Amino acid sequence: MMPLSFETVIGLEVHVQLATESKLFCSCPTAYIGSEPNTNVCPACLGLPGSLPSLNRRALELGVKAALALNCSINCMTKFHRKNYFYPDLPKAFQVSQYDVPLAVSGSMPIFLEGKVKNINITRLHLEEDAGKLIHETADGRLSGAAFSLVDYNRAGVPLAEIVSEPELSSPEEAREYVLMIRRLVRYLEVSDGDMESGSLRVDANISQKCSDGRWGSRVEIKNVNSLRAMERALEYETIRQRGLLLKGEEIVQETRHWDDNSGVTRSSRGKEEAHDYRYFPEPDLPQIAVERTLVENVRESLPEPPWKKREKFAREWRLSPADSASLSENLDVAVFLENVAASGADRQMAANWVKTDILRVLNETGLAVGDLQVGPEGLASLLAHVEKGSLSNTAAKDVLDIMLKKGIAVDDAMKEAGVKAGGVSRESLLGVVAKVLGENAAETALLFSGEDTSGKKRKFLQGLIMREIRGQAAPEDVSAMIDRVLDEMKG
Amino acid sequence: MLFHEMEASSIASGIREGEFTAKDVVVDCLARMRALEPVLNALITPLSENALAKAVGIDAAVSSGKDPGSLCGVPVVIKDNMCARGVRTTCGSRILGDWKPPYDATVVDLLEKAGAVVIGKSNMDEFAMGSSTEHSAFGPTSNPRDTDRVPGGSSGGSAASVAAGYAPIALGSDTGGSIRQPAAFCGIHGLKPTYGLVSRWGLVAFASSLDQIGPFARSVSDIALVMDTIARYDPRDSTCRPGDRPGYRESIKAPTVRGKRVGIVREFQGGSLDPDLGRSIENTASMLASSGAEIVDVSLPESAAYGLPCYYIIAPAEASSNLARFDGVRYGLREDAADLITQFIRTRSKGFGEEVQRRILTGTFALSSGYYDAYYLLALKVRRRICVEFADAFEAADVILMPATPSLPFRKGELIDDPISMYMSDVFTLPVNLAGLPGMTVSTGMNDSGLPLSVQLVAPRWEDSRLLEFAAVIEAWAGRPGVASGGVL
Repeated sequence: MMPLSFETVIGLEVHVQLATESKLFCSCPTAYIGSEPNTNVCPACLGLPGSLPSLNRRALELGVKAALALNCSINCMTKFHRKNYFYPDLPKAFQVSQYDVPLAVSGSMPIFLEGKVKNINITRLHLEEDAGKLIHETADGRLSGAAFSLVDYNRAGVPLAEIVSEPELSSPEEAREYVLMIRRLVRYLEVSDGDMESGSLRVDANISQKCSDGRWGSRVEIKNVNSLRAMERALEYETIRQRGLLLKGEEIVQETRHWDDNSGVTRSSRGKEEAHDYRYFPEPDLPQIAVERTLVENVRESLPEPPWKKREKFAREWRLSPADSASLSENLDVAVFLENVAASGADRQMAANWVKTDILRVLNETGLAVGDLQVGPEGLASLLAHVEKGSLSNTAAKDVLDIMLKKGIAVDDAMKEAGVKAGGVSRESLLGVVAKVLGENAAETALLFSGEDTSGKKRKFLQGLIMREIRGQAAPEDVSAMIDRVLDEMKG
Repeated sequence: MLFHEMEASSIASGIREGEFTAKDVVVDCLARMRALEPVLNALITPLSENALAKAVGIDAAVSSGKDPGSLCGVPVVIKDNMCARGVRTTCGSRILGDWKPPYDATVVDLLEKAGAVVIGKSNMDEFAMGSSTEHSAFGPTSNPRDTDRVPGGSSGGSAASVAAGYAPIALGSDTGGSIRQPAAFCGIHGLKPTYGLVSRWGLVAFASSLDQIGPFARSVSDIALVMDTIARYDPRDSTCRPGDRPGYRESIKAPTVRGKRVGIVREFQGGSLDPDLGRSIENTASMLASSGAEIVDVSLPESAAYGLPCYYIIAPAEASSNLARFDGVRYGLREDAADLITQFIRTRSKGFGEEVQRRILTGTFALSSGYYDAYYLLALKVRRRICVEFADAFEAADVILMPATPSLPFRKGELIDDPISMYMSDVFTLPVNLAGLPGMTVSTGMNDSGLPLSVQLVAPRWEDSRLLEFAAVIEAWAGRPGVASGGVL
């Protein structure tokens, strides 16, 4: 009998907190992190009796932006539903969400893994309000055993976009790449900070196994994955658990399971409170929302090139390595900076090298954003022009760049400060330096003099010393010619 | 001077012109209230001290040459499901405890800005669910025209207050007839405006797609006066229609029905309709005809057959969701328990009365998976057909004339154990809510036993002023309702 084989089938629901100033249905500030509990609240987001929602159009715009970037179709009439359930962090005992007519449907997004591109279809993108936060007064912050619990409603009503993928991801690694691409995208679009640690990007994963004997295990939803690592571990754990059950001929229970990061297992969370019938029905307090054509077109025009397009462009048109294409397209500002360096005349590969090593290093070290740098793309391009012409060595150019970055001055001024001149040292001073270096390294010079340096290694060594001495301000061939001249004079 | 028998407009102009003071008026109305409250129980929370202080402030403003507004010094009663900052708001329920809202309902704000003096918050069926004001955690209200009878509901306290002369005007809310039915039972006028004309911000929701706030008064011109004050666009209510409203007082300056078509609803005549109320329709129609209107026959078969069941799916469904927030976590009653679910169950079982629990359960069922299509979705379809049916009727008629209630005010306790018969009390009013139309109960005097008679007028959406114009003509013929004795001679 053939051994059984399995295919993993994963679909993700990604919740993205939208970067609006105010909440989805009232004008309270969305900044809940670091605020005194229950200060950014009003009758509407507290769900006080008699309060009513009014839609924040900015959230709608951000939702449209993300949806368009995901190639979704926008529903020109969209509506909100109520999702009813009891929980203390839910002030109205229903969440205003979307149901049968979400803001957008049928999109797609590519992910890159091991040199391959895979297109993942997006089922829908809808808007909904966030809930408050429960704080349990126990040592480990868990509900069980808490003497009492506190609720902070500062987060209640903060706008979320839920992006639902088709079940087309086939491994935890693909799931990770998918989440990373969503995060990259929302940061490109500035619709969210996409920060998983602080909870502005949250993932629920649905996973099932297709068995080669035709069985298809039930879908399990995994909640409480609070980092990419946790998501991958949880999916790996579930893959093994579900395959194990199928191998034993057992059924997979369709259920929600919670990831326990400490123990590294998922746990069934069936119970009274999980057996939900959400009783969705159209939110009567909000009429249908018209998403005007002009709004959609304006947003469409404002869209930047998405991260996957930048990456493909860098790889295909610019012929950068896959790793460089990925790292240079990670952040929109960096990618645009690079494009502008090239647009200002620099060689693409050279520009990429400099941005990747020097610019990214500075950004990492200082924590600055590209826009905060003292050197713009034109400045870097003019520096690279010197390198390309050979009038500045790489080493010298790096020193000059450091000064440009520190002082915010133009290339020419920075070169003066660094004590270097385009075009290099004068013939007299070069002659002096060459004579001095050859004199100080008599053994190597002797080998050159006698013609024994057939491999040219000693010449290279001496040339390097001279270059260091003159801070790279001469073309290598000029240095070499000067060495010959000094040797000739010694012969003469 | 018997200020409590005066119209709001006369009170306001008298105070503005210095003939008498707001304090005089408020003192008289409060005295009237104090004398009758032991019998009527129309108010859950009287606000005597607040009202006196407010009146004194208005008098000071007037004497310093300021104009406090069109409702200058006019006493007003607010149904206790509308929020007033810092004032206990109960909705006639135990579950809210003594919760004091930190904000004003838009209508309360508008009334106070126009100079009105809120003298009390009125009794009501719990969460506006009922037709007799017997389903109140604060005891039943008596009908001031006959204290053995109910005042109708759910805005029974507001209707009784106006009929008894506590105030010339009051606000109620109407989800399926809760203004028009108690207006009919108490022998006064009551208007349910077009859905979306008046802001619901601060009205504790019963059924959001049906609820609308409106006025009670003893004169059509006072109804118009209140409408000129409260009918405003409010961005805080997304279902409130943007734009200006017509001048309602303007529309009744020279009222005429000449050349207008009045539709009589075939299905709503005869049957179980009280003969006196049937005659009231006939007499009104004859009067309108002799005033130059054309009487036409219209038909509302779907409303007659399916209005009630449709309403009793949609309203409880929305209510089950709207009332879910009363869980004891944030405000109001809390019955502590070892776990959350038990806390929710205990709090809600103790806090909600029987009728409210019945409707929450009905509504929860109607929205449940597996039943949604058969109940809620079907009801939505019926609702759409009722809208279309009314629209068709308004092709033939400018105004529809029909009964407000099938019966005269019933006796206290008569229907309390018979919810279906109680529901039938709203059979003529609730189709109007389902279609979002304006409807008005106009008092047409008393029958031989001294019980109030009335008719209901219904107009197309946003044609509230047309109702007022017809009502003014009917009032000129039938006479303005007087103040009831309230059981005290």
